[in-house]
Amino acid sequence: MTGWSLRTRMVLLSALVTLVALGLAGWTMAGVLDRVVTGGVDQRLDAQLAVLASTVRSDGSVDRDRLAARQGALAAGPGWRWRIEGPRETLGSADFPALRTPFPGPAEAAPAALPPAPLDGEDAKGRIHARRLVVESNAGPVTLTAAAPGRVIGRPVRDALVPLASVIVALALIFALAAWVQLRFALRPLAALVAQIGAIRRGERTAVDEAQPAELQPLAAELNALAAANATTLAATRQSAANLAHALKTPVATLALTVPPDTPEAAQVRRIEGVIRHTLARARAAAVNRRASTAIAPVASDVAGVLGTLYPATAIRLEIAAYARISIDAHDLAEILGNLLDNAARHARSTVVVASAAAAPDRVALTIDDDGPGIPIERREQVLQPGVRLDEGPAGDGFGLAIVRDLVALYGGTMALEESPLGGLRVRLTCPDGTTA
Amino acid sequence: MRILLVEDDPDLGPAIARALRAEHCAVDLAADGIDAQHLGETEAYDAAVLDLGLPGRTGAEILAAWRANGRALPVLVLTAREAWADKVTAFKAGADDYLTKPFRVEELMMRLRALVRRAAGHAQTRITCGPLAFESQTGQFELDGLPLKLTAFEWRVLSQLILRREVLIERLELLERVYEGDADVDSNSLEVIIGRLRRKIGAERIETVRGRGYRLTCGEQPA
Repeated sequence: MTGWSLRTRMVLLSALVTLVALGLAGWTMAGVLDRVVTGGVDQRLDAQLAVLASTVRSDGSVDRDRLAARQGALAAGPGWRWRIEGPRETLGSADFPALRTPFPGPAEAAPAALPPAPLDGEDAKGRIHARRLVVESNAGPVTLTAAAPGRVIGRPVRDALVPLASVIVALALIFALAAWVQLRFALRPLAALVAQIGAIRRGERTAVDEAQPAELQPLAAELNALAAANATTLAATRQSAANLAHALKTPVATLALTVPPDTPEAAQVRRIEGVIRHTLARARAAAVNRRASTAIAPVASDVAGVLGTLYPATAIRLEIAAYARISIDAHDLAEILGNLLDNAARHARSTVVVASAAAAPDRVALTIDDDGPGIPIERREQVLQPGVRLDEGPAGDGFGLAIVRDLVALYGGTMALEESPLGGLRVRLTCPDGTTA
Repeated sequence: MRILLVEDDPDLGPAIARALRAEHCAVDLAADGIDAQHLGETEAYDAAVLDLGLPGRTGAEILAAWRANGRALPVLVLTAREAWADKVTAFKAGADDYLTKPFRVEELMMRLRALVRRAAGHAQTRITCGPLAFESQTGQFELDGLPLKLTAFEWRVLSQLILRREVLIERLELLERVYEGDADVDSNSLEVIIGRLRRKIGAERIETVRGRGYRLTCGEQPA
């Protein structure tokens, strides 16, 4: 049972109930129909019995002339037969079949006033429905039997049952459809909840909507509590990993100063440094909040302020609209712009330009141009590999561009390296617009 | 070059100090924020290396206090915090450079030398004075194109003089920039160092201004 969906369970249950109810209705209607048809046949048989009775004289003999005259009333069709059994003579249809003993009553308890009694039997062609009437004559009881073929009852019942069954099947289908529609409608909030939980897992939401139907409201509240607890635990875990990596930096710095360079020990120290960097980058990447919205200009101006101190000979020009916002957390935007502008300022001859522009729907484009040597087209892909550095200059760890590219991608953005109109490198970021977030 | 090193880690602080001294620097090590701020406000340094996370007072607070008191010494922030957001905070407080741990000594030295050179008003890394040249990136002196071997004290004195060539440097200031804060300074020892330097680069290069101090003269128009 555990594997069956709610929908299957409910559809099966409603199908079962519908089947039982419709079966019961069908069975009852078939019974009623059978009784009505049988009643009609009985009336005809009783009429025949009355005709037969009218031919029996009081001495128990049969008035054959009268019988012949009334033959028309007796010849209803093939299979319709009659028989008169008296103390003096027995006559009737030649092929009159052997019939069961009268049912229900015993034969000897058959007074003249008795109404005709049903009597069923069978012959080679099938079921026979018959009625029997015992009339008293002076010579003794005369038994009159009129029989009709079973099909005169079976066929009308079958004929009536076919449309009846069609209606029942149609009803069953309508009920099943109704149940399915009902289920869909009733389960829709559940489907929406499932979609929201998926969004939480993908980091697009932090909680499910608590405005739910009464039955789902506690579930939504519990889910939110769970998600919050989960987020707290996760954040604490990441933070402790980041703290650990962070705390290792100072002792590793001491080691790096103490260990002689170009020894195997120095190589191990560099490996530890790499692990620390990787762990911190991962903790930062995991904390990405895609719904952030940050004004670009203040962050760019802060970063440009730092670089103005570091590279006093390079002019950094900001052409960023005051209202331009980007869907990147302020901390990460500082990281992205810091790395890119640092790179640009380090290579520029005199000028770096940072510009923003609205891009294709809900995107904002940021370009960072420098008038430095640029990067030849065939090497652009290469500089995005972690650890690659094209210049031999002192600053920069060679991870800058790769880190930025990965960080931008985490926010659903792209980074492209192009040729700048200033002559050097243009880095083009296309990221989700923060004004629509 | 006299450096104020502010680092609270009991292992890293002395390790950096050793590395800087190996590069001829005079180093005063402060292990807490209060000491650091006091030293920076009362002593003469060519540059400071400042950690951000300190007991007593944070690096950013110390830096802001120095700047508020008009202390213009170049400050290199040396921290484990590598985020640009932290970098922005440090520069807004008045930092001149920023280096994250772990780091290479060569990189720290190069940046300190560049800070000191720029603070002295030199845009070029190579500073010349007559036949004497100072490669400020590496700290190497050349005389007539040949490497000049100097002791730590000689290097400290000569680097002070060449960074402010043709300018009178007060004797007291020179003493302050050459000796560490807790050093037992014998006032005659400066004269001994100047004498040794004169023998190496030519007596006429270092001019004594009686009662005041010394001046490095280049003999011709400085390049």
